[in-house]
Amino acid sequence: MNCVELQESLAEVEKGSTVEQSAHLRTCQACSALVKDLNLIIAAAGRLQASDEPSPRVWNSIEIALRQEGLIRPQRTARPLLPSFSARWGAARWLVPGAAIVLLAVGIFLRQQSQPRELAQTELGTVPVTNQSDLNDDDLMQEVTANAPAMKTQYQENLQRVNESIRDAQGMVDESPNDEDARRSLMDAYQQKSMLFEMAMDRSLP
Amino acid sequence: MSAAGKGDLTEPRHQPQSIEPSEAEVIERAKQGDAEAFQMLYEKHKRRVYSLCLRMTANTAEAEDLAQEAFLQLYRKIGTFRGESAFSTWLHRLSVNVVLMHLRKKSLPVVSLEETTQGADEDSARKDFGAEDVALAGSIDRLQLQKAVDNLPPGYRTIFVLHDVEGYEHNEIAKIAGCSVGNSKSQLHKARMKLRDLLKMNRAEKAGNSRAG
Repeated sequence: MNCVELQESLAEVEKGSTVEQSAHLRTCQACSALVKDLNLIIAAAGRLQASDEPSPRVWNSIEIALRQEGLIRPQRTARPLLPSFSARWGAARWLVPGAAIVLLAVGIFLRQQSQPRELAQTELGTVPVTNQSDLNDDDLMQEVTANAPAMKTQYQENLQRVNESIRDAQGMVDESPNDEDARRSLMDAYQQKSMLFEMAMDRSLP
Repeated sequence: MSAAGKGDLTEPRHQPQSIEPSEAEVIERAKQGDAEAFQMLYEKHKRRVYSLCLRMTANTAEAEDLAQEAFLQLYRKIGTFRGESAFSTWLHRLSVNVVLMHLRKKSLPVVSLEETTQGADEDSARKDFGAEDVALAGSIDRLQLQKAVDNLPPGYRTIFVLHDVEGYEHNEIAKIAGCSVGNSKSQLHKARMKLRDLLKMNRAEKAGNSRAG
């Protein structure tokens, strides 16, 4: 087997090598280097699987489309799917979202004292301005760093994504204040941020 | 002998129970239009679907649009999912079809029509190896490989992504892409050879830049 035959045979043999290929590779440094390179490429290829994350815009668009098509229905009263702290904390579970809401409310109140604010009045209620999406992020990260340092990076990434969602949705509301779907997206984005705080509070409880 | 057992001080006292719903439960809820269930399925599979779209199109905006379309098709058809195959397999196949339809609409070659390994001169097996034909050596940086894959011709890119990245077998690729098994093998080999060239060029450029700088 010569070099040309070896290369042509590489396409056919998927795993391992034939006797002829092995014999040629033992004596040919160039072909041996080629096969080594190809194996490196194959090994590296697996790392490309699921290596990238779509922007929050993708889910927002999907959700809007699902609502428009009527594929999403109002949630039933059956037990929630997301892992809930209710199984662990029983009646005391209501203290946790309450604490998260108090934390958000205190933060909003403190910011109101130091920054001017414009409110967009909508049928769904008062929608704070974009910079308020940054409220309490420092408090949240301090909480996570103190009580769940292993989760810090994940919380940072989630926080960044949810803030981007809020900014995107706010932009949509600013463009079309009467667009109900845009306002709903903004409220959903804030709810996601509230859930993030809830999870952080849940981890911080002993 | 296991260290765990009664009175083992290394055992944590409180073991939170896992209350994650099963995927089957989430799918049933999604069939009933549960918004939370939709989102859970999205969160679980979004990276794989999006990465597949990105690898095959080499374009972020297109990949996001295609990922969105794949999930929308999934949700529209979820009522027909009977569980004969794994849900991830079903979703993945659907995503591949969405991307291939898109490539066909753009009149981009999904797979080259070449049947044999003997292609154009630049692709044919080298008869001799010059001094410049040195090995890649060491590991391959993921970002460099990503960039090289993005620079592959579309037909080569499709086969490489489906086989080496996503793990499809040649007989599956042949069915999906509408080519022969022989063609799939041939194109894969050429894709790998082309990637080798691109990676070596990239390394040579970087080495040249660092010497000049």
